[in-house]
Amino acid sequence: MTLSLIDILIVGLYLLVCMGAGLWMRRFVRGVEDFAVAGREMDLNLGIASLAATELGLVTVMYTAQLGYEKGFAGATVGVLMAGAMYFVGRTGFVIGPLRRSGVMTIPELFQQRFGTQVRWLAGLFVVLGGVLNMGVFLRVGGEFLVHVTGLPVYWLELIMIGLLAIVLLYTVLGGMLSVLVTDYLQFLIMSVGLVITSMLVIRDIGWNTLMGQLWMSWDGTRADGARLASHPFNPFHPTSLGWGYLLWQALFQVAVVTTWQTQITRVLCAKNEETAKSMYRRASFYFVGRFALPVLFGAAAFAYFASHGGLASGLDSRTAMPAYLAAILPAGILGLVIAAMLAAEMSTDSGYLLTWATVIYNDLLMPCFKKPPAPRTRLLLTRLLVCAIGVFLVFYGLLYELKGNVWDYLAVTGNIYLASVFTLLVAALYWPRANRYGACAALVLGAIGPLTFLIVNARVDAAHQIAPEIAGASSFALAFLGMFAGSWLGSSRAVARASS
Amino acid sequence: MTYFFVFFWTAMIFGSIAWFAALLFYVGAKGGREIVKLRRDLRERNDKGPPA
Repeated sequence: MTLSLIDILIVGLYLLVCMGAGLWMRRFVRGVEDFAVAGREMDLNLGIASLAATELGLVTVMYTAQLGYEKGFAGATVGVLMAGAMYFVGRTGFVIGPLRRSGVMTIPELFQQRFGTQVRWLAGLFVVLGGVLNMGVFLRVGGEFLVHVTGLPVYWLELIMIGLLAIVLLYTVLGGMLSVLVTDYLQFLIMSVGLVITSMLVIRDIGWNTLMGQLWMSWDGTRADGARLASHPFNPFHPTSLGWGYLLWQALFQVAVVTTWQTQITRVLCAKNEETAKSMYRRASFYFVGRFALPVLFGAAAFAYFASHGGLASGLDSRTAMPAYLAAILPAGILGLVIAAMLAAEMSTDSGYLLTWATVIYNDLLMPCFKKPPAPRTRLLLTRLLVCAIGVFLVFYGLLYELKGNVWDYLAVTGNIYLASVFTLLVAALYWPRANRYGACAALVLGAIGPLTFLIVNARVDAAHQIAPEIAGASSFALAFLGMFAGSWLGSSRAVARASS
Repeated sequence: MTYFFVFFWTAMIFGSIAWFAALLFYVGAKGGREIVKLRRDLRERNDKGPPA
């Protein structure tokens, strides 16, 4: 094990403080509105901390470091696109403005006002399916980081996953969004300290000019040790790197993420008012460049480090190289701080996601089925039980699902199951008066076809015949828009024909 | 072209480190005050009585 006593003490202290802070807020919860959207009392800076902490998980650090290891700094381009999308939406209020004004608790709830109960229910199903599948790999990938950075035996992975989840469940189930906001704030602080210190130590260890030089030589094949990078390390538009097709898909995908991804929108809905929500987006936008760029730095540095140390040791791959590299270069004490920071990242993301998906199941799948709304206490109990149920599902899914290939592509494509269709519905509901429920149903179904085909086909065929993620992703947006236009047009023609007969 | 991207990523990495450090202090100080205010507001609301 690479951890010293001081590292273990730092991690233990962090977990205790975090759990205490989460439990501290539980007595203020008196209804589902407090539990799900913190009574809509969230102010600007708390919102920035919560948004930043939730959207930067240990899984984010792992997949972006993997992008850095395989594609160099060009892998951080997705972060630049996301920051641009955040700023654009914060500046214009596109989607988030009318969404916050509507006073809903979830996105599907808005669809009921425009398209009816069936569309709300169907959209809720897609949101939960995409969201929970997306979250399914968080625990395993997070556990992989901890196992490799601490040097613990691999069979500890499952125990670490379950232990982490138990702590998160405890304060999320009791305090809901109020606990999540306070723990997110603490986790934001410790995560930022950890990322800033690690970045400075990585640059000091390898040297900035040396890193840039090594990446370039690995690309043009002039390294003495023969290590090669298959992708251009700096230019994302180069055909060997991400390429135009991937970047265009990502530009659209990121606009959909910042306006539709329910965990992010929950912060908009928790905000005191529309202006607070927009300001939160604008001020947090550049944070999303660092969310990708700093872990990409760790991954690129891990590539350069292992290339000059005889290659990756057995048992390591592009995903686990970064934690092994950090364990090798970070001194005692700092390693504990970094692990606490990464635990903070994991826990804030898990708690935010658990709560969000449970709220959607409660609000959009179960509530429309009740003829008479249950008592407030029953509603709260139901939401808490749903948080626990998702937690149990995550443990089993995390243990059983074996993730092949690039983590980012898996996350982007599973997220796309609902992003493309729900984004189309949201834009149409808010800005297109002719949209109707026929178009909404067609968009939901057609938008999910691309990502589901990607998941099923790629799990069965060899690497040479797999569907590219940008093809699956871009086609789902195109199909969803097509479904909305065609369905709305056919639906309105049918209504006109019925009225005239 | 490559020089442009090398300069761009250098600016992004060092800019991100500086931005994270600045947010840490700014959001750290202001967010802490907002938590205290949030608790006070919730306590006052709950003292007024149960929800309608």
